[in-house]
Amino acid sequence: MLSLALRSLRHRATAFVASFLAMLLGAVMIMSFASMLDTAGGTGVSDANVETLVTMASVVGGWSLILVLFAVTSTLSLAVRQRATEMALLKSIGATPAQLRRMILGETAVLAVAAVALAVLPGMLGGRALLALLIDTEQVAPDVTHVFGPAALSMGCGITFVAAVGSAVLTARRTTGLRVTESLMDATAEPRRMSRKRLVGGIVFLLLAADLAVVTATVMHGEGSDAMQTAGQTSIWASIGFALLGPVLVRRVAGLPAAPLERFGGAAGHLTVQNVRQRAHQMAGALMPIILFTGIATGTLYMQDVDSAAIAAEGLLKNDEQKSIETLNFVVIGMVVLFAAIMLINTLVATTTYRRGEFGRQRLTGATPGQVLAMVTLESAVLTVTGVLFGAVASLFTILPFTFARTDTVLPDSGPGTFLAIVAVAAVLTMAASLATAVRALRIPAIEAAAV
Amino acid sequence: MTQRIKPQGEALRLVSVRKVYGTEDNPVTALANVSLSLSAGTFTAVMGPSGSGKSTLLQCAAGLDRPTEGRVYVDGTEMTGGSEAELTKFRRKRIGFVFQQFNLLPTLTVLQNVLLPLKLAGRRANPDAAVDILRRVGLGDRLGHRPAELSGGQQQRVAIARALVTSPKLIFGDEPTGALDTRSAREVLTLLQETVRFYGRTVVLVTHDPVAASYADSVLFLADGHLVGHLADPTAEAVAERLTRLGDEVAARRAMSGV
Ligand SMILES: Nc1ncnc2c1ncn2[C@@H]1O[C@H](COP(=O)(O)OP(=O)(O)O)[C@@H](O)[C@H]1O
Ligand SMILES: [Mg+2]
Repeated sequence: MLSLALRSLRHRATAFVASFLAMLLGAVMIMSFASMLDTAGGTGVSDANVETLVTMASVVGGWSLILVLFAVTSTLSLAVRQRATEMALLKSIGATPAQLRRMILGETAVLAVAAVALAVLPGMLGGRALLALLIDTEQVAPDVTHVFGPAALSMGCGITFVAAVGSAVLTARRTTGLRVTESLMDATAEPRRMSRKRLVGGIVFLLLAADLAVVTATVMHGEGSDAMQTAGQTSIWASIGFALLGPVLVRRVAGLPAAPLERFGGAAGHLTVQNVRQRAHQMAGALMPIILFTGIATGTLYMQDVDSAAIAAEGLLKNDEQKSIETLNFVVIGMVVLFAAIMLINTLVATTTYRRGEFGRQRLTGATPGQVLAMVTLESAVLTVTGVLFGAVASLFTILPFTFARTDTVLPDSGPGTFLAIVAVAAVLTMAASLATAVRALRIPAIEAAAV
Repeated sequence: MTQRIKPQGEALRLVSVRKVYGTEDNPVTALANVSLSLSAGTFTAVMGPSGSGKSTLLQCAAGLDRPTEGRVYVDGTEMTGGSEAELTKFRRKRIGFVFQQFNLLPTLTVLQNVLLPLKLAGRRANPDAAVDILRRVGLGDRLGHRPAELSGGQQQRVAIARALVTSPKLIFGDEPTGALDTRSAREVLTLLQETVRFYGRTVVLVTHDPVAASYADSVLFLADGHLVGHLADPTAEAVAERLTRLGDEVAARRAMSGV
C-alpha cells in the first residue's frame, strides 16, 4: 500500500498542495515558538524571561495543534473526496477498507515527513526573528540568545505528525466506511440532510461559547486583562459551532435573498438560488473558513483594542505580561488568518474546478461565459455575506462579555474600521479564488468541459 | 398533432468548411473542404466510421467550434463572431442540441431544465409552453423530478424538450441514442422524426447506428473528413451495407497511401 500511496501522491500532486502547505506552515510556526522553550533553558535567563518565553511557546503550540488539525482535515478530505471515483474503483476491484485507510495514512505520513524536514530551516529563522521581536519590545532581556534545540524539533515534528495522522484517520474513516455503490454515488450525489453528529457538535460548541461568555461577564468581571483568558477563546468555539452548522445556515440564511434573486437576478440569479438549495453541503465547505476567519479575527482584534483602551484610560502603561499577551494575540490572529486563507482558497479552487462539467452543460444550454461568471460572483457574494454574518455573531461572544467585564459598558468604543477590513479581506479572497478558477474552467471548450 | 407546418428555404449551408486540429508540425485534418446544403424541414443522418469527422462536422455547423476555413449559414444568416459569447447568442436563437450524455443540470428539476434556455436568452419563460412540450414528449407527470430520478430514456426526452423550447430552426443530435436501450432509442428517434414531420424543424443526427439512420429522410456518409456519399430514403440494411463498403474503401485507401 505504501508504494500505491507514493504513486498516487506523485499523480495527484496538486490535490495535496494545500494539505502540504498547511502542514509546512504549521510545522514552521510550532518550531519557531517551541524554540522559545530551548531558549528559556539557556544559561543566565532570568525567571521572568523564562516565564514569558514558556507562555509564548505553550499557548501558540496548543493553537497550532488545533489549527493544523483543522486545516489538514479540511484540505485532506477534499483531496480524498475529489478521488472518490478512484477510491470506488479500487474498492470494486477488491481493495479492502483497511487497505484504503492504510493508503490514505501512508500518503499523509509521507507528506508530513517532507513538511517537517522542510520546516526546520525556516523554523530556526522564525524563532530567531520572534526572539528579536520580544527583545525589541523589551519583554525579554537583550542578552538572551536564541537556541534551537530538542524542544523545537520534537514539538515541531510531534505536533505536526500527530495532527496530520489524526486528520488522515478521520478522513479515511469517513471515506472508506461507505460501501462500493454508495461511494460511486457519493462522487456525484449530495446528502439531503445534515448528519446528526454534525448538528449535535455545532450545538455543543455554541453552548460552550455561551457558557464561557457568561463566565467572562460574571466571574471575570473586574479582573482586568485576565478576562482575556476566557473571553479570547469564546469566539473560536462559537465560530466552530456555526461552521459545523454550515449546511443548515446555507440553506436557511443564504436562501433568504432567493425571491429577489429569482426575480431580478436573471438566469444567473435563478441558477444561484438552485445551487444554494441543492448544494448546501458543498457551499458549507467554503463557508467554514469564512466564519472561522471573520469570527476569530474580529473577536480577538476588538478584544485587544478594548483592553489597550482600558489600560490607557486608567493612565497606565502596559506591563510585560500585557505586552506579551498583545504580541500573542497578534500572532494567533496572523496564524488564523493564514490557515483560514489556505483553507478558503483550497476549498473554493477545488469545488470550482470540480464544477467544470456543470459550467460546460450550462454553456451548451445557452449560457455565455459572462452569465456563468455572473452566477459564480453571485454565489460568492451569498457565501461571503452569510459567512461574515455568522463570523460577526461569533465574535460578539467574545467582544460583548469582555467589554462588559473590562469597562462595565456592553459595546466597545472602537469603530467599525477593523471589522470592515476583515470583511474586505474575506470578500476579496472568496471572489478572487472562485472567479480565477472559474475563468480557467471556462477556457476549456464547452463540449470537452461537459464531458468530465 | 395534425397541423403540419410547411417550411421553406434552406436551414443549413456549409461552404468549403475545413477543420484542422493539432499543431503546425502535426496537423490533423478532421474536415477537408466539406460543402453541403440542407432544406428546412428535413431529417438528415450523418454517418461514417469512427474518427471520420462526424462530431467535428456537427460542432462546426452548430457553432460550438469554429472552422479553420469556410463559411456556415444557419437559416440564411452567416455564423460570424469570434467570441464565445457572440456564438452563444447566435446559437441560442437558432439551434437546439441533444447529446449522448443528456447534459441536463442535476440541481434543476425537469421543468427548470427545460425553461433554462429561455431564461438564459432573457426571454419570457412561459411555463405553460414548456409544460406543453414536456407533455408531448410523455413527461407531463415528471415536471418536479430531478434528472437523477429519471431513466436514461426519460432524461433524453427532457433534453429533447429543452432543445425544442426555444423553437429553433435546427436541431442537432450527436449520438443521442448512444447511451439508451433499444426501446428508449426508438422513442427518442420517433420524437425527432415528429419534430420534423409536424413542426417543420430541421434535424441533423450524427450516429453510427444504421437503424437510427433509417429514421432520417436521407443519409450523408463521411470518411476521413470528406463527404463521400448520399442515400435517400434509407433502410437500415442499405445503410449497413454502404457503411461496410465504406469501411473497406477507407482501409484500402489508407493501406495504399501507407498511413
Ligand atoms: N480536440 C481535438 N484535438 C485534436 N484532434 C481531434 C480533436 N477532436 C477530434 N480530433 C480528431 O479529428 C478526427 C475526427 O474526429 P471526430 O469528429 O470526433 O470523429 P467522429 O465523431 O466521426 O468519431 C479524428 O481523427 C480525431 O482524432
Ligand atoms: Mg463522435
